[in-house]
Amino acid sequence: MRQFKMKFMLVIASVIVSASALAQVSPERLLNADQEPENWLSYSGDYDSQRHSDLTQITTDNVDELQLQWVYQVRSRAGAAEKFEATPLVVDGVMYTVTPPNDVVALDPITGRVFWTYEYTPSPEARVCCGRVNRGVAIHGNTLFMGAIDGHLLAIDARSGTLKWDVELGSAALGYALTVAPLVIGDKVIVGPAGGEYGIRGFIAAYDVETGEQLWRFNTVPGPGEAGFETWEDPEQEAWKLGGGSIWVTGSYDPDLNLTYWGVGNPGPDWNGDSRPGDNLYTDSVIALNPDTGELAWHYQFTPHDEMDYDATQVPVLVDMNWHGEDRKLMLWANRNGLFYVFDRITGEFLQGSPFVEVNWMDGFDENGRPNQVLSPTEEGTFIMPNNQGATNWYSPSYSPETELFYIPSWMDTYSVYTKREVTYIEGQTYVGAYPTMAMPALGVNQTNVRLREEGFGAIQAFDPQTGEMVWRFEMTNVTDSGVLTTATNVLFAGGREGSFYALDARDGTMLWRQSLGGQVASGPMSYEIEGRQYIAISAGAGLFVYALPE
Amino acid sequence: MVPERIKRLLRVFCTSLLLIFATELMAQEHSYAPADIDNGRGLFQANCLGCHGDAGDAVDGANLSTGRFRRASSDEDLIRLIRTGIAGTPMPPHTGLSVGQVRTIVAFLRALPTGGGVTLVDDREVKIGNALAGEALFNGETQCSVCHGVNGGGLLLTPDLGGIGAQRSPGSLEQSILEPAAEVRAGDRFFQITKLDGTTVTGKLLNQGTHSVQLMNEDEKLVSFLKSELSDFNFVASPMPSYLDILNPDEVADLVAYMISLKGENAQ
Repeated sequence: MRQFKMKFMLVIASVIVSASALAQVSPERLLNADQEPENWLSYSGDYDSQRHSDLTQITTDNVDELQLQWVYQVRSRAGAAEKFEATPLVVDGVMYTVTPPNDVVALDPITGRVFWTYEYTPSPEARVCCGRVNRGVAIHGNTLFMGAIDGHLLAIDARSGTLKWDVELGSAALGYALTVAPLVIGDKVIVGPAGGEYGIRGFIAAYDVETGEQLWRFNTVPGPGEAGFETWEDPEQEAWKLGGGSIWVTGSYDPDLNLTYWGVGNPGPDWNGDSRPGDNLYTDSVIALNPDTGELAWHYQFTPHDEMDYDATQVPVLVDMNWHGEDRKLMLWANRNGLFYVFDRITGEFLQGSPFVEVNWMDGFDENGRPNQVLSPTEEGTFIMPNNQGATNWYSPSYSPETELFYIPSWMDTYSVYTKREVTYIEGQTYVGAYPTMAMPALGVNQTNVRLREEGFGAIQAFDPQTGEMVWRFEMTNVTDSGVLTTATNVLFAGGREGSFYALDARDGTMLWRQSLGGQVASGPMSYEIEGRQYIAISAGAGLFVYALPE
Repeated sequence: MVPERIKRLLRVFCTSLLLIFATELMAQEHSYAPADIDNGRGLFQANCLGCHGDAGDAVDGANLSTGRFRRASSDEDLIRLIRTGIAGTPMPPHTGLSVGQVRTIVAFLRALPTGGGVTLVDDREVKIGNALAGEALFNGETQCSVCHGVNGGGLLLTPDLGGIGAQRSPGSLEQSILEPAAEVRAGDRFFQITKLDGTTVTGKLLNQGTHSVQLMNEDEKLVSFLKSELSDFNFVASPMPSYLDILNPDEVADLVAYMISLKGENAQ
């Protein structure tokens, strides 16, 4: 072989040698995410989904000195009404987020400057019940994973922003859509579709991170021969085919138990259950699955035979704490149905349940934790609390090991009048029933608020898992679609529909700092650190806002 | 009675003839120099992007990226239409642009991935050799494939050459082999920064601003630098070695032939 001067060849050789050794997000790093608080490696920051940062530079004493560092504005490819719901990831000096509907962008987390953008134009066939929203990406190695609103799961090279693979989970024209940030466990990427308002049959499935090949699938609405099918009791055995059971938000994972926990959405049709007699498992449930096989370990159904749209569309928060004198592996859950639950996450045992807002649809539990339902939709209309949007929804709660409190973004004391009407399934159209009336609009579209307090308001509430009792409440005139972040220094970040973003003292709810971002906060805050500086990031309106203390 | 096998052969033959003629027509119709396309891109961005979007697909019912135009079949039709506008629609006249300028916009539209295809013209005399021999060189002795992928493989720092034969003229391909630094596509440029302590980082330029610069470094990592922390930052010539003194003219001709044969993953 002839010799030639190859200055670049030497460079290249070093790339090839070092590429494998370089910082990539290995499954081990995801397992030990708490060891690198400077990064934010998954939707909730860690597998336990506490949305709690161990960074300590920003404290209750200095948080009022926070300064805006940069803003990233969403390009106008999406309409103004699209909500920016993604939580960014920060990995080894690069931030990744998704702007609505489905553009992935890699940003410099110090300056906000763009490294690359991956523009995906979802199929116009996509059925969208609640905005062309996306909650963010997951990462494995050098690959990002994004679910698209048209039911596709995409793998994108985190370095170059180029597509690696693209698989269709379900037909967009039939309502299958992905809004959830995927969860990576080992060499699998786990997601499930939304679309429960269009008569989909939901599932959670694991895909090979390298190829996109489906490795297992758990049907959230079981079919003939599958456990739970007996809870779809219509004699025609047809209802399950349109049974709903969406996956809207990211699950959690306990590596010691090797169980992954996911909340399942409402049954279809939403507001008239006459065509689907029975409990309609596993809708409105939390399910615990073995991530290797998709096998069900246990489940708990929050709202059996739901006709109020009370999806279990919440992030399961995993907490190890001394509970009533015993070290327990717990799961905390504030549900759309207005109740705050404590479970043993090993067995799924129901330990405690109590309202965190005004609730009138049930009046207690039996010994197994099954709610005693006392109200349902009727032809003349039934006044039910909480309202159809729920006492909380997909907005991430937080748990702080420092305060041992659980923080719930809450819609306080709302109501709907639920009216039962005939429902017919037409392919590709909504399959819901009569939309319930409510004083509180489901989407934050109005710029003004002329409602009275008794028509509902918003709050961040701190609850004690030991007692199920409220410890403090920070009230807002309007409701909130914001998640909550807590830090090791007892600072709590959250926002509201009014466009405010603020810091509270996690111990007592005292307001410490606030900003007006000029657009609805409909995302969860996160924190990261670069070169010794802690940052706080929040998506709001059509912008991503990043704060830090003065240098 | 004609046997089925012969019928099939005839069908194939006739289709091939049609294809040959169609390609010939197309080639005459859409022959543009690479410079035309580059100029057209600039004019498109300055004059058309506001309504049509950067991919040409932002106006419902007037998707410019498909190579099919409802109101124009030839390039001359398109040039006329752009200059006169379309009455009764928001499409205004563009009389401020010369016919030559508008022709470059059409060149750009035709060069979009599905825009109908462009035959690039280049007046340089280029010797074209044997593509198979070129492929062997590419993957062997020249070590081209160490850096350049062909529809995948290769590095992220260097351009993938999978569709290069559809994008570049033989003259420009030959030039890139002999004088790699002569012309580097905007998205493939390299930058070198020097920090205040004298250390340097070289990488592919991804983005730059008045205050910072973003690169993919030699480890294929995304890195960002504040200019206030740099003593120098400069465009650097292509890191690719010249093959002028390494390959003989026949070998260069073979490589060029192989490059020409690379028409993209979905090319027939």
